[in-house]
Order: sequence, then C-alpha cells, then structure tokens
Amino acid sequence: MIKFDHVTKRYPGSDEALSQVSFTIEAGELVFVTGHSGAGKSTLLKLIAAIERPTSGTVLIANQNISQLRPNAIPYMRRRFGLIFQDHKLLYDRNCFENVILPLHINDITGLDAAKRVRAALDKVGLLHKEKAMPITLSGGEQQRLAIARAVVSRPSILIADEPTGNLDSSYAADIMGIFQAFHQVGVTVIVATHDALGMSTDHNRVLHLDHGQLKPTEFIQNGHSNV
Amino acid sequence: MINWLNQHVQAIKLVLNRMGHNKLSSFMISLVIAVAMCIPGMFYMGVDHLSKLSNHMQDETEISLFLKLDASPNVAAEIAANLAKNTAIKQYHLVNKEQAWRELKAKAESSKIDTEVSQLTKNPLPDAFFIQAKSAEPASLEALKNELQAMSGVDQAVLNAEWARRLSSLLALGTKIILFIASLLALALLVIIGNTVRMQILTQKEEIIVSKLIGATTSFIRTPFLYAGMIYGLLGGLGAILILCLIVLLYNQSVTQLSQLYHSDFSLAWLNSSLYLAIVLTSVVIGWLGSYLSVTRAIAAIKID
Repeated sequence: MIKFDHVTKRYPGSDEALSQVSFTIEAGELVFVTGHSGAGKSTLLKLIAAIERPTSGTVLIANQNISQLRPNAIPYMRRRFGLIFQDHKLLYDRNCFENVILPLHINDITGLDAAKRVRAALDKVGLLHKEKAMPITLSGGEQQRLAIARAVVSRPSILIADEPTGNLDSSYAADIMGIFQAFHQVGVTVIVATHDALGMSTDHNRVLHLDHGQLKPTEFIQNGHSNV
Repeated sequence: MINWLNQHVQAIKLVLNRMGHNKLSSFMISLVIAVAMCIPGMFYMGVDHLSKLSNHMQDETEISLFLKLDASPNVAAEIAANLAKNTAIKQYHLVNKEQAWRELKAKAESSKIDTEVSQLTKNPLPDAFFIQAKSAEPASLEALKNELQAMSGVDQAVLNAEWARRLSSLLALGTKIILFIASLLALALLVIIGNTVRMQILTQKEEIIVSKLIGATTSFIRTPFLYAGMIYGLLGGLGAILILCLIVLLYNQSVTQLSQLYHSDFSLAWLNSSLYLAIVLTSVVIGWLGSYLSVTRAIAAIKID
C-alpha cells in the first residue's frame, strides 16, 4: 500500500529531515510514527500525503510513484487520504456541518446523500448534536473529533493523523485513540504520528520510530509500554 | 454532467453568500465597474445620436444654385434647359427673385425681423435653382457642384449638406477616441477586478489551503472566484445601464425643449438594446478575465505548508 525506498528529504538550508528511510505499510495496518520533536515525523507524513516530494528515493502509494505524479493528478491522489492535523485546520467561518461537507463537495457529492454521510461521520465522533454549532464554540477535544469527522466523511482508505492528541489532556487523548482503533478495525489503514508513545494503545501495533531523521528498528507497543 | 452542474451551482451559492456578508464592498466594486463602463457608453450614445442626425441631414442632398444678381430671364431659361439635360439631376425647381422676395417679406411680417426687412427698398435676392441630385455620394455631389458652378450666369453653387459631412467625419474621429477610452478603461477594470479578487483570495487563504490538502483540484478552488468576478461584472454592467438611463432621462428634458424650437421631434433614445447588451457582456467578460488572471497566479503562490 505504502512503500518507502531509501527516501531522503532535505529542506533548503537545513540538514536532512529524513535520511535513507525504507519501510512498507500494508493495507489495514495501524502504525504509529514516534520520535522526539524534530525527528522527521511530520515530514514522513507529508511525503505520504504528497504534500512534499522526496529529495531522493521513491515513495510508492498504491503502486504510484509520488515523485512522478503530474501536478493535476495530485488532488486525486490526496482524496485517498483522510488528513488530521494537530492544529485541526478547521474553517471557523462556517458551522460543523459545513466543515465536514467540504470533502464531499470536492468529490462532487452533494444533496441528501452528502447530508446523510456528514451526519453519519458526525455521529461516529459523537458530535451529531453539534452540527449547527460553530467550531470556535467547541472544546479542543471536540474540535479534533470534528477534524476526524471531516477526514473520514469521504471514506478514505488511509487515515493520517499528525499529533492528533498533542494539545489534549489524557482522557480526551484516549477518546481520540479509541476512534482511530475503531476505524482500524473496519479495515482502514491508520497512520498516527505522536511524540507520546505511551498511553496510546493496548493492542499490538506497529511503530516506526524516528531519531534525527533515521528509522530505528521497529518496535511493538504492548500494554502501553515500550519493549525496546 | 449533473455533478458538474452541481459544482457550479454550489460555487454560485457560495459566492452569493459571501457577497451577502460583504454587501457594502460588493456594492462599491460594482459601482466602480458601473462608472467605468458608463463613461464609454455615454460617449457612444452621444456620438451615435449626432451621427444619426448628420446622416439624416446628408440625405437631403440638395444643391442650391444662385444666379448672378443681374442675370436675365433668358440666362435662367438657358440654365434650366441645361439642368433638364443633365442625367445626374433628379429634379430641380426655380425660385425667381420676385418669388423669393415675396416669401421673405411674408416671413418677416410674421416674425421679429419685420422692421429690418421693411427697411430694404430693393430686392437683394438673386434667382435660384434648387436641385436634387440622383446620387448621395459625396464625391459625385462634389463633381456636380463644380460642374454647375462652371456654368455662365451662375454666381455660386452651394452643397447644403457640406457641414453635415464635415460633422460626420469629425464623428468618425470621435468613434476612434471612444475606442481608445474604452480600451483604457477596460484595462483599468481588469486591474481593479483582479486586485479585488486577489484580496478575497488572501482572506480565504485558510480555506484554499484546507481544500488543497483534502484533494480539491485547482479548478474547484478557482470556480467560485471566477463567478465572483463575473457577478461583479454583471452587477457593474447593469449599474452602468441604470446610470445611462438616468442620464438620458435628465438630458431628454432639456433636449426636447431645444428640439421643439427647431420643430424637430429629436430626443435621445431610451432603449439601445445592442449597446446595453455590449456593456453587460463586456463587463462580465472583463470580470471573468480579471479574476482568472489573478486567481491562477494566487492559487499557485499559496503553498499548502
């Protein structure tokens, strides 16, 4: 599904954000990307989502080479992903319902069908009763759940979350992680970057651990404890 | 097809919603376009009416042939015979000096120049032929005039429509000037609309970034801005027509008074559907083009990270 082969990313005027990273993520996996801040987690996610292109090496998404995509093919590639950001990137000039419907409009889905799907997505994250509320009136956890609703409404096969629980207290964070688990269980590939590996999961999950742009041997998290 | 239509309907809804939230600024932009479109429209109307008037005058292709004051009736008869033979002449009639004198005196009695005319002791008027040419061509009229001028006993041949022709060539110059003014204003409008749309893009930067991140194509992002430009153009064009109608209304009040003095029913026409259509279409096209140019540049400039 997702294949990195000796991927290096260097931003102009800085050191390598990622160097010689190789890994494969199969469809339906739940993968955590961990590491200290500045280790290259966000860069890795941006490469997957075709927001950045590798300096060298190849990134294959569903057997398509990101570097060789024509610019007008990139939007269609991005529609495979549901993206969730630490800062939510919600639009504060419209209500929750209108925020969530945006990806459907982009996919040319409108009318009753769209409304049904928006309500289903809001229901999944427990915000159905807030559809008319403006995002600014929601709490941090609710805003993040709204961002998840927006990411999943178009039923993407890959969900990518960059520090989704970064600014949330632990009970909210567990709440959000529960939602990701639920998507994982219905077959969605979920990739979550976090600096806080603990308290994330009680299952066996794969971890890509980054240290100064280099991938360290794969670990598993078990019962909330790292078994390095 | 339905999806495509739907996308456009959504875009128009979005734009109208945005404009509804910024009524004042939308009004201002439309007003600027209206005024800029109105100026060449006004000039055009003026020139159009004057040239209709001058065409009307030129249709009266009459040549007045004044004989010398001392020309005898024999000379007049000779000239009449010549005119009858001339194939370029449709018809002619002679007004002899006595007849003209009587007419002048009769006219003078009914108007204020009575005293001046009655002071004249002797008939100052010559015999005159009034000739209608077959052709309305300026060149052939000119040739006929010269031919008539050359006949013996003729004092002066006058082409009545000469001033009208001069006016019409002046008007042709005027049309060219309008074209220049219109092009310059169109250029200014392109910049104004482009700039307005660019400002809107900046205020909607967040939305554009998010849309790009979740897979919106450039055309999806661009469409609402293109509609915004076109709607500004449409409103501006309609505004320009409204202003033009107001101007015609105000002018007509004074123009009718003036033309009544000349026993004419001349007034500015209300309805000039081709001009109005041209104004609206031009401003819509300018609106579209202005926003297209700036939105394409601006979207490319917005980096999603």
